[in-house]
Amino acid sequence: MKALLQPHRIVMLLIAAGLVMWICLAGRWDWLWEPKYQTLILQGVWRTIWLLALSVLIGFALAVPLGLAQASGPWYLAVPARVFCTVIRGTPLLLQVWLLYYGLGSLFPGIPWIRESDLWPILRQAWPYALLALSLSYAGYEGEVMRGAFASVPRGQIEAARAMGMPRHKILTRISFPQALQSVLPTLGGETVLQLKATPLVATITVLEIYAASSRVRQDLLITYEPLFFVAAVYLALAGVIVLGFAWLESRRPRRTA
Amino acid sequence: MSIATAAAPGNVTGSVTGKAEAIRVENLHKSFGPHEVLKGVSISAKEGDVVTLIGGSGSGKSTLLRCVNFLETPSSGRILIGGEEVRCRGDGTPSDRRQIERIRQSLGMVFQQFNLWTHKTVLENLIEVPVHVLKKPKDEAVATARKLLDRVGLAAKENAYPAFLSGGQQQRAAIARALCMEPRAMLFDEPTSALDPELVGEVLAVIRSLADEGRTMLLVTHEMKFAREVSDHIVYLYNGLIEEEGPPDQLFGAPQSARLKQFLKSVS
Amino acid sequence: MESTLGLLALSPPGWGGTLLVALWASIRIAVGAFGIGLVIGLAGAYGKIYGGPILRDCLGVYTTMVRALPELILILLLYFGLTDLMNRALLVMGYERIQISGVVAGIIVLGVVQGAYATEILRGAILAVPAGQIEAAKAMGMPARKVASRITLPTMLGLALPGLSNLWLIATKDTALMAIVGFNELTLATRQAASTTKAFFTFFIAAGLIYLVITLISTWGFARLERWARRGDPPRQAGGR
Repeated sequence: MKALLQPHRIVMLLIAAGLVMWICLAGRWDWLWEPKYQTLILQGVWRTIWLLALSVLIGFALAVPLGLAQASGPWYLAVPARVFCTVIRGTPLLLQVWLLYYGLGSLFPGIPWIRESDLWPILRQAWPYALLALSLSYAGYEGEVMRGAFASVPRGQIEAARAMGMPRHKILTRISFPQALQSVLPTLGGETVLQLKATPLVATITVLEIYAASSRVRQDLLITYEPLFFVAAVYLALAGVIVLGFAWLESRRPRRTA
Repeated sequence: MSIATAAAPGNVTGSVTGKAEAIRVENLHKSFGPHEVLKGVSISAKEGDVVTLIGGSGSGKSTLLRCVNFLETPSSGRILIGGEEVRCRGDGTPSDRRQIERIRQSLGMVFQQFNLWTHKTVLENLIEVPVHVLKKPKDEAVATARKLLDRVGLAAKENAYPAFLSGGQQQRAAIARALCMEPRAMLFDEPTSALDPELVGEVLAVIRSLADEGRTMLLVTHEMKFAREVSDHIVYLYNGLIEEEGPPDQLFGAPQSARLKQFLKSVS
Repeated sequence: MESTLGLLALSPPGWGGTLLVALWASIRIAVGAFGIGLVIGLAGAYGKIYGGPILRDCLGVYTTMVRALPELILILLLYFGLTDLMNRALLVMGYERIQISGVVAGIIVLGVVQGAYATEILRGAILAVPAGQIEAAKAMGMPARKVASRITLPTMLGLALPGLSNLWLIATKDTALMAIVGFNELTLATRQAASTTKAFFTFFIAAGLIYLVITLISTWGFARLERWARRGDPPRQAGGR
């Protein structure tokens, strides 16, 4: 609090407050009170949140074996995992989204058993492709992070477990994984903010998340800046929540002193 | 020389000969935050003098040395190099950057951690400032550098990067780098403290040869035997003040203060 | 499959030529944005380390905002905002409105984004340069600018290169975002070719391979650069002293 009260910071805060006021007063905000756009925005925020949450969960679940395979797996697992991570990290996410949506989306209707399956009503929509692309992307980046984390678990820790006769899967679940997870938590926080920043790309395949909702407002009302400022504020708030959430996770990290 | 030298007050120490004064420090104070490290220290070194600062850790001897070439900014006091006073603002910070740069170029500093530039070879380290700051012709600088490397016994290592040398070799290269500037005086800040014991001798031999050829030196060291052999004057600092000073034989042979006696006992 | 591979031929009816033209645009944007990002980053890093409290806080706001907002939204905001501001300024000064070309806009906008990340990377690297290296230079009377150009920057290069390498890869991939504002770079050209010919997999995979090749070549190049920048690092030996 004391740091905020330095004179120049107060001036900067006042300028920022003035800018926000000016944007609020000079801009056109009546659409925020129209029920039509309210539902659009709320649905958009909700879609962004669950796309993010699910893709992070699925992606991380894939990232653990990807990292493990690269760090200590046999070559026939390590090489494919390495190739997967390189391909995901080496190509634009937008291209991956479009490849899955347009590519798979154009392939599936031609395959009879998919058309006739119960999944078809879901596969005809855009969100499964968005979720798949986002999850694979997160898996690719985090697979690389987990590789580093598994590789940096001190050898002595694992040797001690082996010397006591722990079976391999026990060593993994009780020793390697908890340590690797602890060391990547700060990184994961940052990576999850990056993932949040990647979600608006799925607007290009007709998924109506918050960015798409703001584009709709812009097109309907022919205004440029106000919806952009609004989503910017939404993303800032979501990023803040993610940062605080991971800070909380980290603070729960066990500290054994005795 | 200058007025400052002529008007020297009597309490400033140094061997009493007719030689000009190379380094003179008057009533120097230095604080880091609330902690006062130097509480009013005056020293003087005439041309050709070897003045050695000794004292326990935290006595302020390294800080004093670093104040002389303004790596630390003194809180108050006067510093004169070759009779030229360093102009300071009210708060003690130097007012003329160019003057500081010129004075630093005339003082060769040797650090405890060598501080050779890791991205340059030994030869490149030596010619860096002569060529790129003093704008000397490169072949001239290289010739001088090779001569100096030969002198410190590193002629064969001119193309090695510092990290590939032993500590003793690095420190000898660092001394050669300082000599390249043809300095008026040399400042040594615990030059052997970071070395493995078996490498100390080769560095001390180089420093001794510099003392023998009559170079002005300000030396901070823990090597008491060496200090006694090469110094003209010893200053014992305790807690930011000069506790006792004098010629080496007097200081080591017949120490007066109880603290110095205790200190000498603890390091021998 | 054979028939769709023919669509990649360089001359029409093949789309290869179109893709290569678009690739060239992508590369120009990436190189330009990376360059601008480095310039902003270097100035920003020195500002953050040695600047006054106001400059430091302003840079803090810049890097935080850019890193917290989606690139897509920044691109739209900067694209519309900057052209608007510039045209208003031009009108006030009595000039005609101008239309900024897509390449220039892309370079500037992505450059501003890259600059925020570069600021943090370079700041970290500069701070990681051992103090003694700079002190030795000061003690020999090097002027501050010489210390920066001859000692600090070359020493920090080895520390900054892994981060900069990553940033360059981000630059190449972020050019794809220009597709959303309708600029004809590689990803958009690919989609046009794909939807015209219906050979989705052929074109998207071809484009993916092109990006991948750029990535692999850059990674290799940066690794070589890093090895050169770290030529003075201590030899890595088993064991140690």
